[in-house]
Parts: sequence; structure tokens; C-alpha cells
Amino acid sequence: MAYSFNFRDVFAAKDALLDGLALTLQLTATTIVFGFLIGLGVAATAVYGSRWAKRAAHAYVEIIRNTPLIVQLFVVFFGLPSVGIKLGVFTVATIGLAINLGAYAAEIIRAGIESIPRSQVEAGISLGFTRTQIFRHVVLVPALKNVYPSLMSQFVLLMLATSVASQIAAPELFYAGSIIQSRTYRDFEVYTVIAVVYLALAILLRMLFAVAHRLVFRR
Amino acid sequence: MIRDLSWIDPLYLVLALRWTLGLTVLALLGGAPLGLIVAAVGSMHRPAARWLARGYVGVVQGIPLLAWLFLFFFGFPIFGIEVPAWLAASFAFSVYASGFLGEIWRGAIQSIPRTQWEASVSIGMSYVEQLRHVIIPQAVRIATPPTVGFMVQLVKNTSLASVIGFVELTREGQMTAAATLAQLPVYLMVGALYFVVCYPLTTFSRVLERRLHGVR
Amino acid sequence: MAFVELRSIRKQFGDHVVLSDVDLSVEKGEVIAIIGRSGSGKSTLLRCVNGLEAIDAGDVIVDGVHVNDAKADLRALRARVGFVFQSYNLFPHLTVERNITLGPVIVKGLSAADAAALARQALRRVGLEDKAGAYADQLSGGQQQRVAIARSLAMSPALMLFDEITSALDPELVGEVLRVLEAMAREGMTMLLVTHEMNFARRVANRVLFMNGGRIWEEGPAAEIFGAPRTEELRNFLGAVLN
Repeated sequence: MAYSFNFRDVFAAKDALLDGLALTLQLTATTIVFGFLIGLGVAATAVYGSRWAKRAAHAYVEIIRNTPLIVQLFVVFFGLPSVGIKLGVFTVATIGLAINLGAYAAEIIRAGIESIPRSQVEAGISLGFTRTQIFRHVVLVPALKNVYPSLMSQFVLLMLATSVASQIAAPELFYAGSIIQSRTYRDFEVYTVIAVVYLALAILLRMLFAVAHRLVFRR
Repeated sequence: MIRDLSWIDPLYLVLALRWTLGLTVLALLGGAPLGLIVAAVGSMHRPAARWLARGYVGVVQGIPLLAWLFLFFFGFPIFGIEVPAWLAASFAFSVYASGFLGEIWRGAIQSIPRTQWEASVSIGMSYVEQLRHVIIPQAVRIATPPTVGFMVQLVKNTSLASVIGFVELTREGQMTAAATLAQLPVYLMVGALYFVVCYPLTTFSRVLERRLHGVR
Repeated sequence: MAFVELRSIRKQFGDHVVLSDVDLSVEKGEVIAIIGRSGSGKSTLLRCVNGLEAIDAGDVIVDGVHVNDAKADLRALRARVGFVFQSYNLFPHLTVERNITLGPVIVKGLSAADAAALARQALRRVGLEDKAGAYADQLSGGQQQRVAIARSLAMSPALMLFDEITSALDPELVGEVLRVLEAMAREGMTMLLVTHEMNFARRVANRVLFMNGGRIWEEGPAAEIFGAPRTEELRNFLGAVLN
């Protein structure tokens, strides 16, 4: 093998990597918050909305789930300026990622809502709860608890998917890697390090969610 | 030199779909056998084997697909092998697919009742024979809807092969967008083409799912 | 006017007529037992009283409120009509106490402290004060059903509806629930029960309704219904059930 692995150059650029990592974490956190809220709203609309609202919700979910993320990001990236909206690349990336996550979250949450037996709802009706009260107190918490694992898996996938934002020049971890690669020509080493960092992030994120589960659904 | 968007551009986009689908097929050809092995190892009664399979799945699923693409793209030259983008992409997607398919199929195998294992081992079958003749035939029904669902994921994910220069639908779109500066219409067309391919598959997967759980 | 009035009730599911020409008047403080075979329409009738089922024709009037009227304030009515289900339907993610205080707080606007006091009182009535912090899956079927009763009682209802509440319980747990019902009857609660517990009905109910094929087939004081059935169908039913 006429190739000598050289990780030193990569580690010398660790500041750049850390900056990228910080942005990845920020992007992940912001997207999860907005994506979850979008998903919740769309799921509620899909279950309780008027006929047209339901159709709109289904259309949104199907369009997003049947097209690639990178194309969605390009559409947002080029589409916003064309209607005169100029935003920073972090915001654009968040918007694109949140719209994407929202569709997947909506499917998951909708399944959760529909898994609550009608008898629970009837108990709420018989006690005189309004529909909003039934949703808030009887349906929502058990529904989220039921789909928590699926939802958390989706969030981890989202964190990994933030790497795609590198293609619209969002300076997250993967983008930082490609910059270092073009500077040091240590292609393989750079991406090995990046891969390991993502893997570590994925593991840590899962552990974080497991802890959060115990805190939120204390039983 | 910037040119205008013309009627022939959508045609080129549609033609580029064949590379998208071709890459998907290659990913399945490589990923399915590997995934089967992962599923088989992951269902063994030995904890060490299961641990190994779980580790493989965890690593494959825990690394972004873009990273896998770049690792294979830059990895081959290290051994002195120059590979074209499509081959590197095929390897990357095969590994990626094996991690997800392996997990789906392991889940399906796991859902077969223990009694089936007990019955087949009692007539002297080996582990592989049990899998081949008793367990997998039953698991196939359960595994089909999520497998079809994953194929949709694969088709969408081939879009990332554009990043290492493989000319499939997304890359064709990027080149057209750069040449015409009509980025929004181009990418909307690209999205629509993916939708046309993926939506029927998604619907099919749902039909399969309903047939699986409805008919009892 | 009687507290509960059902006039010419008719209900069908598709072609299947579930209730036809049902008339009933219930005075305050009455305990009415509804008996009959499955499919006779008794549960459906009960569910029409608090609007869980809509009727196709007729009038359901509870405490002056026309339940079947589209503009009726069912929420306010349901806050005064308690309904206990066969499968208890406790909220699994909430403690026993929270199950009971939820209604008073969000429907009646009570403060948390007042609601908690109400909950303790209700739990005392059903004999489960020590289970306030437990969750549904930690309780036996009989205990869960008593919590369900307490949950309805905490809303201070004027009328209680019971839909075969002991049918899903193991036999040895039925007694504790019936004892609670008996105490409520003695205290003067207006109660409509769909039940298979014939001995209980004979002892505690003022009037018994025998339903058959969607109609009230026979009706009268408990002693008469059980002691001197007039129709063939009731005789057959009692013969089958009491053996």
C-alpha cells in the first residue's frame, strides 16, 4: 500500500470541525422543535380537520415523503429569493429541514392519535369534556408516549440528514469536512473522522432521548 | 453561457431517471444478500452473534449516507483502484441498504412465534435449514410492506449520488439549473419526477400493509 | 315532567332497527334496571340518554334538556349525568386521583385543591381512598370499576347511567362494586342500570325494564317482573338466566 494514513492534518483543523459540529447541533435542535410542532399541527389536522384541510394535510405529507431532501432544500434555497425573501443559509436550511421532518413526524403522530381506543374518547365525552380538552388530556399524552420510539428514531435520522444541508453551503459538520478535504487533500481521513463524529452523536442523542423519556413520562 | 430553458430539458430529466433506477437496482443487488446475512446472524440464539449484527446495523445507520458515499469514493483510490462514481455509489448504497434491510428483516424473523423454531428443530433441522424452509417463508409476508417502503427511501437517496458526480436525475437537474439559471422550475420538475416514481411505490406498500393486517 | 323522559325513540344502524317505539319516564330518585338478551338494544338505549348515540326519531329529555336537539348544550348536561362503562375506560397515563380531578377542574372550573378534596370524598364513598396515587394497571378490575364510579361521582351528577359495569369482572370482584351501587341507591341517586345481575336488580331496583327486539317488552316493579312475568319471552329469558 503506497498510501500513508495521516490524521494529523485533520486534527490540526479541529477548530473548523468543532465550529461545524456546533452548527450541526444548532441546526438539529432548531429543526426538531419546529419540525415537531409542524408535525403535531398537521397530524391534528389530518385527524380532526375539515375535508379540505385533511386533503391539504395528506398532500403535504405525501409530497414531502415522496421527494428527496436535497431537492427540497434546493427548492427552498432557490425558491425563497425568487419571491423576494432573502434569508441567511442557516434559516433556509432550518426551513427546508423542518418542512421535511414535519411530514415524517406528522405520519408518526397521526398513527399515535389513531391508536387511542374510542372508549377513552367516550369516557372523556361522558365527563363533559370539549373536543379540545379530550385531545389535550386524554389523547395527546398517551399518543406521544406510544410513538415516542418512532419519533426519536426520526429525530436521530434528522440529525444525520443535516449533512445534506452542506449542499446548500450551510457551514455544518459535513461542509466543514469538505473544506478541510479540499485544503489538506486528506480525503479519506477527513471523512473517517466525520463519520465517527456522526456515529458518536447518534449514540449520544439516543441516550439523551432515553433519559428524556424517563423524565417526561415519569411512571 | 446561459441558455433558456427549452422543451428538451424535461426530456433529458426523464431520461436521467434510468440512472436513478439503475443505481437503486444495484443497491438492492448488493444490499439484499448482505442484509439477509445480517438478519440471519442477528436472529441467532447466540448473544455474541446478535451483538455483532446489532453493532453492524448501528454503525451503518449511524453514519450519514453522504459520509458513506465519500468514504467509498475516496477509499478505493487508497488501494490504488480508480473507481467511477457509479461503482463507488453502488458500494456505498449496498452497505447502506444492508444496514436497513437487515434490521427490517431481522424484525420480521423475530416476529415468527418461538413455537415454529421449536417444531423445526425437533425434526433435526440446522439453523440455516430452519431459516430457509420454515422461518423465512413465513417472515417474507411480514417483511414485504416495510421492504417496499425502504425501496422508496432508496430511490430518493440516490439523489445524493449526485454529490460525488454520478449523473442521475438530481445531477442532471443541477447541470440544467446551472446552465439555464431557471433553478426553481428545474428543481420542481425534478421533484415531480421523483414523486411520480415514488408515490405509486408508497401506495403499493400501504396496500400490502393493509392486506397483511386486514385479512385475518 | 319526569327527570328523564324518552318518547317514541327509534334508532337503526343501516337496515337493522335497534330501538323502536321506546317510551320511558324516570322520576328523581328512581333506580331502574334494564335487562334483556344481548342485541335487545339495552346498551344502545342507555347511550342515547347521554347522547353518546344519536337517535333517528323521538325525543330524549333529561332534566328539561332535549338531548337529541342539535343545539343542545350536551357538555353542560354530561357534567350532570354520569356514565360508567363496562370496560371502565380509566385514563391509563394518569393516577387515580388525577383521573377523578380532571373533570371537575377542566369542565367545572374547580381549583385544584377543591377538586382534590372532591376526589378524596368520592374515593371514600367507593372505599378506595388509599389508592389515590396508583395507576390503573396497578389495580384489580373491581377496583378500577370503583374508581370509574368515583370519577363520575366527583362531577356531582343528578343521574347515573351504568352500562353492564360488572360484566367484565371476575365473579369474586363483582360484590364490591354492587355494594357501592347499593349505597348510592340508598342515598337517593337516580340510576339507570343495564345489568345481568338479576338478584341485585330484584333487591335494589324500583322498576325493571325487560327489553326484547328493540322494544320495552315488559315493565313493572321488580317484584312483579321477577315473580310474575306476563309474557312468554320474559319467562324464557328468566328461565335461562336464573339457572
